[in-house]
Amino acid sequence: MSSRNESLSANNLNKSQPPLNLSSRASDPLKAQSPKMLPGLQSRGTNTSKKDDHAKELEQEFKYKHLSLLGVFVWILFLHVVGIFFFTKGFLLTRMVLENKSTCDALPFDDSPSSLLEQSHRDECWHPKSFDKAIVIVIDALRYDFTVPFAPKAESESAQLFHDNIRVLYETAVNTPQNAFLLPFIADPPTTTLQRLKGLTTGTLPTFVDAGSNFAGTAIDEDNLVAQLHAAGKSIVQLGDDTWQALFPGYFNDNLTRPFDSFNVWDLHTVDNGVNEHLFPLLEPQNQTKWDVIFGHYLGVDHAGHRYGPNHPAMAAKLSQMDQVIRELIAKIDDSTLLVVMGDHGMDSKGDHGGESDDEVDAALWMYSKKGVFGRTSQETIMPPKYARERFVPQIDLVPTLSLLLGLPIPFNNLGSPIEEAFIGTSGKDWRNLVTVNRLASAQVKRYQQAYAKTHGSDDGEDFESIGYWETAEKSWQAQNGRPSSKNAIPINEAYKQYQRHTLQICRGLWASFDVPSMLQGIGVLLAGIILLTFYARGVQSDRTELTGPFLSRVGLGFVLGGTSGTLFAVLKMTEMKVSESSALLAAIGSIFGASTAIFGCSQRLSLPLPNSLFGWLAVVFTVSQSIGFASNSYTIWEDEILLFFLSTFGVIAGISSMRQQSTTDRVLGVYHSIVFVLLGRVASLSRLCREEQMPFCRSTYYASSTSSTSAPWQLAIPFLVMLILPTVIKGFYAGSKSYEGAASLWIGIGFRLGLFVTSVFWVLEEIDGKEWLPLSDETLKTIRVFLAQLVLGLAFAAGTTAFIYSKPCVSISVAQTNAEPEPKRPSPGEQQLPRTTVTILGFGNIHGTRFFFLAINFCLAITLMQKPMGQGAMGLLLWQILSLLEILDTNALVTSNSSIGPTVLGLLGSFYYFKTGHQATISSIQWETAFIPLTTVKYPWSPLIVILNTFGAQILAAIAVPLTVMWKRPLQLTDKTSSSAPQKPALKLLSDVAQASATYILYFATINLATTMWAGHLRRHLMLYRIFSPRFMFGALALGVVDVVLIVFSIAGVRWSTLSVGEIFGW
Amino acid sequence: MASTTPPTPAPNTAPPKPKPSQPPVSILPTQFARAYALAHPALLLSLVVYRFTSVVENPIAELLGDIPYLVGLQAVYVMGCLPPAGSEKDPSGSGPDASEHKTIKKSASISALRRRGKATGSASWSTGLVLVAWKLTPALLSLTLTALLATPVLAILLILFGAPFTTHHALTFLCAAHMALLSSFPLIYTHGVDGTVWREVWGAARPLDAVWGGALGTCIGAWLGAVPIPLDW
Repeated sequence: MSSRNESLSANNLNKSQPPLNLSSRASDPLKAQSPKMLPGLQSRGTNTSKKDDHAKELEQEFKYKHLSLLGVFVWILFLHVVGIFFFTKGFLLTRMVLENKSTCDALPFDDSPSSLLEQSHRDECWHPKSFDKAIVIVIDALRYDFTVPFAPKAESESAQLFHDNIRVLYETAVNTPQNAFLLPFIADPPTTTLQRLKGLTTGTLPTFVDAGSNFAGTAIDEDNLVAQLHAAGKSIVQLGDDTWQALFPGYFNDNLTRPFDSFNVWDLHTVDNGVNEHLFPLLEPQNQTKWDVIFGHYLGVDHAGHRYGPNHPAMAAKLSQMDQVIRELIAKIDDSTLLVVMGDHGMDSKGDHGGESDDEVDAALWMYSKKGVFGRTSQETIMPPKYARERFVPQIDLVPTLSLLLGLPIPFNNLGSPIEEAFIGTSGKDWRNLVTVNRLASAQVKRYQQAYAKTHGSDDGEDFESIGYWETAEKSWQAQNGRPSSKNAIPINEAYKQYQRHTLQICRGLWASFDVPSMLQGIGVLLAGIILLTFYARGVQSDRTELTGPFLSRVGLGFVLGGTSGTLFAVLKMTEMKVSESSALLAAIGSIFGASTAIFGCSQRLSLPLPNSLFGWLAVVFTVSQSIGFASNSYTIWEDEILLFFLSTFGVIAGISSMRQQSTTDRVLGVYHSIVFVLLGRVASLSRLCREEQMPFCRSTYYASSTSSTSAPWQLAIPFLVMLILPTVIKGFYAGSKSYEGAASLWIGIGFRLGLFVTSVFWVLEEIDGKEWLPLSDETLKTIRVFLAQLVLGLAFAAGTTAFIYSKPCVSISVAQTNAEPEPKRPSPGEQQLPRTTVTILGFGNIHGTRFFFLAINFCLAITLMQKPMGQGAMGLLLWQILSLLEILDTNALVTSNSSIGPTVLGLLGSFYYFKTGHQATISSIQWETAFIPLTTVKYPWSPLIVILNTFGAQILAAIAVPLTVMWKRPLQLTDKTSSSAPQKPALKLLSDVAQASATYILYFATINLATTMWAGHLRRHLMLYRIFSPRFMFGALALGVVDVVLIVFSIAGVRWSTLSVGEIFGW
Repeated sequence: MASTTPPTPAPNTAPPKPKPSQPPVSILPTQFARAYALAHPALLLSLVVYRFTSVVENPIAELLGDIPYLVGLQAVYVMGCLPPAGSEKDPSGSGPDASEHKTIKKSASISALRRRGKATGSASWSTGLVLVAWKLTPALLSLTLTALLATPVLAILLILFGAPFTTHHALTFLCAAHMALLSSFPLIYTHGVDGTVWREVWGAARPLDAVWGGALGTCIGAWLGAVPIPLDW
């Protein structure tokens, strides 16, 4: 060591240059500089107090500039939120809610006297009822193929664990067709339970804007089945899933209703056992009079799917249990009770749902009655369909069917059709009954359509394109005087049905109507934000901290002016927008103008934001070509592979660039880290979760199998490997610059490793849960798991944050009185007589980087806990790859040149590892169950935060690492402020560089977000909109918001503490 | 790398910042070489056009079947148009102290080659045969190295860029073999195993001559060729 020491100063401060400090550039300015730093170490300082004051001033200035910098980024976040909000408002489909209600005394035929009714059943409602009572059982996520015998589509297919467990539905439908029928029951996406319940009770189509409200259901205002039952004075009991309570508050019989929490997907049995416990007593003869309709909602199948996937013994057991429940119900009901069993949606191959793939929308519907009222129209339809795509009925068909069977009016908004099996009669020839109910349903559809058109104020022509079908049918009906013979009834029935289906088609199209001006407003704000951000990040040449003051004041002025005028416009009714919306939009526009004057106002410090190096162009090519790719569904589907391709390209080019470095150390280390970077990326790419569209060219490895959502036993070794390897790897990177000193050894070697160990134990316990390997009850295990998880989170966030704020930089400073030190080249004669003090500082070569990296370690620990074992391996690789990237940046002199490639590659890494932690740009890939890792129940705001930590973990970790792209091995600039005429302020320079790096990182995500937004808007009539473009837009927008917030709250804020800590020792 | 720069700058090139240790490779000054150097890319391209449909239909068989033709075309190209390794410099004079000596030797050998080239342009069959035989050894050697060294390295690179790791090995290797024949074969033939030159190749710091340009073009073409992979039509 000592031979490399360089004398720095007259009083012999010897700084030991770390042997692997590649940026030997650091040493040059040091030589020339005067020694008046290290205030904490100075033993014989003259005018110390004056300098202290000066340091204080500088520190205050740094703190102030840092705060105002945060203000700039908050404004950027505001622009993004406003832009995304206005686009979303216009893009996510909305449908007007009509509050009209159907009533018994107002038949839907507006022109005909209610002669039909008077003739036969005065006491009846629209149609004679078939049943007095009903039990409606919803088995959440009951997919159609669970209920029919296994029928291979290809010869190679073999039965899986979920097949052939519920046999009762099929058996009864085949053996006693007059008592039961079983049909595929297709849901309208989004396939979330709340949306499905709305569809199943109102009979109308869901719109996308409702999808977000799954976590906090709101009451249904529209006419619906439950409201009709309530209005008819029926006693309604609800058991199970508490989503019903949120949708239909006050409709249920409070004494008998038992809601259960629906979001604890780790719990397979509580809800189901609770429903059983309260359902069967109601069927006893003494209780039969207490209720009219029971809605029972079982969640076990859904939870088993979320937790284990369909092909799992737990799913088989759950389905068998449901089979048993249905058999018991059959045994207990009486003749006047209708029994309905249905799924509200299906599940995809891993057991999740939410989207619109076939597996997610294919549910099953089964109706049963002891009375024997069901029939089939022909011999071909005797057997239940083998596959879900044959003879299916839409889920909204349940509403008219159930209403008419129970003698209720059809809810006003219904668009469904009566199911023919329920009305054709046991003989299968009662066409007159069928045509009667179809006429009722058609008339109600027509009435609804008229009311909607009237309220909507749209021209009738388009809306009533289907009216021709109605008129044809009605004409034939009138020709038969409303009493058609069976033979004549068939075509009339067909015509009515055609009218209903045609109207349904029209409504689907109609409600896919977008508010294009609002979408354009959103895109405009986002685009302007990106242009300003581009100039701020890449065009401004001067110190960004100097720009901050005028920038913020002009932005503030524009914001206030715009906001005020927006409020005025809205108050004075000059615009149709709400006050909050109009003021937000105008505040955004005003502040954009303010920012433009600040940035473009002084052109001398502005240049065109064009890249000036190969790496700069590379960053542009990556971002732009990926953005263009989102216009195609193929490139959106294969985004994970494309990101790998880009990352490998960067690695190879970094290797090539490293080969050209002059210094041998730079060359060797650069090439080494480039190779490591590429290899790690390729290893990480082996962790995959395929989306449906990637099949058959993709094999999922994230879970034990493609039909499961649990890890394979061998995958449990991954967390332990991470625990063993990752801290050692980090130690290696620290040791390279002799920085494994001070807090580093404790925090990385012990704290981080301990946290990872506890995480590994947690996931082992998680895996053995339900397998009864340990003599502990499930409850005890759950308690232990929750404790362990909270322990890790405490370690990462509570202890970690404290350590981050208060710990000293990773340096070791030793002071020795010695004369043995070799003489410096030019000893200053005045001080040679004094006893020599040698101060040796190890680890100053990377003082900023190693200090700040603690924050990344904290987040890595917390995020790792939230990932499944495979994802934990991925997070370990991500951290390693980030470190390699930082070394590459350093050896290629990209740290000090503020190249845009560093933040951009971090952005690519964040996006890439999003896919490597078991996610896809689909709603069903959200790992909701991770909300229960450190909690037993849903708690706000923690549960959503935990799911965000799981979903966007990779982007968050990469965002934390963004300041490192300018801090890693950043030369420590120690200047003498008292004597220098043009004082440099290294802390402010650092802050400006951090701002530039952060803005560049945001720029990557903002560009991706703008691209996905624009393409989703442009392709809004595309067949694949809801499968591909819309989810990608939503994830892009969410990722941008998360990244913005993390950068503001943690990354940029964290720079304050780490810089203060460095400044405390080395001065300002 | 700058320390190994020869004292005399490479002829006909604007000196780039790190001067190349070897001057850019120029096409042999024979009539045949000049003509064939122009015809060669056209021949390669027409091979692609002619066999494209069958590559799409049965990639493994077709790529395998094309290799002899590709080897033949490339062999004619390198032997006919390019100076083999060592023809431009004395292998003994590679030390920095011998650079002066090296330069003299080099210019001498170049002029010798030119003389030989002129001879082939007009002289009899037998001289041509001797020349072919003289060039056959380096060609065969570099072909061996292409197969044993360049192909595996390129295959690993392909896998690192996302080619399947557990399946489709035959396809990956055939693709790597084609790329190696197009890029590495001429490079090895003209530069042998000169470490300095290869460091420049890896650092992409070679002057843009026919050989290095061809290799660079192969790699960039392969990179761009990956663009349509995800498309499903």
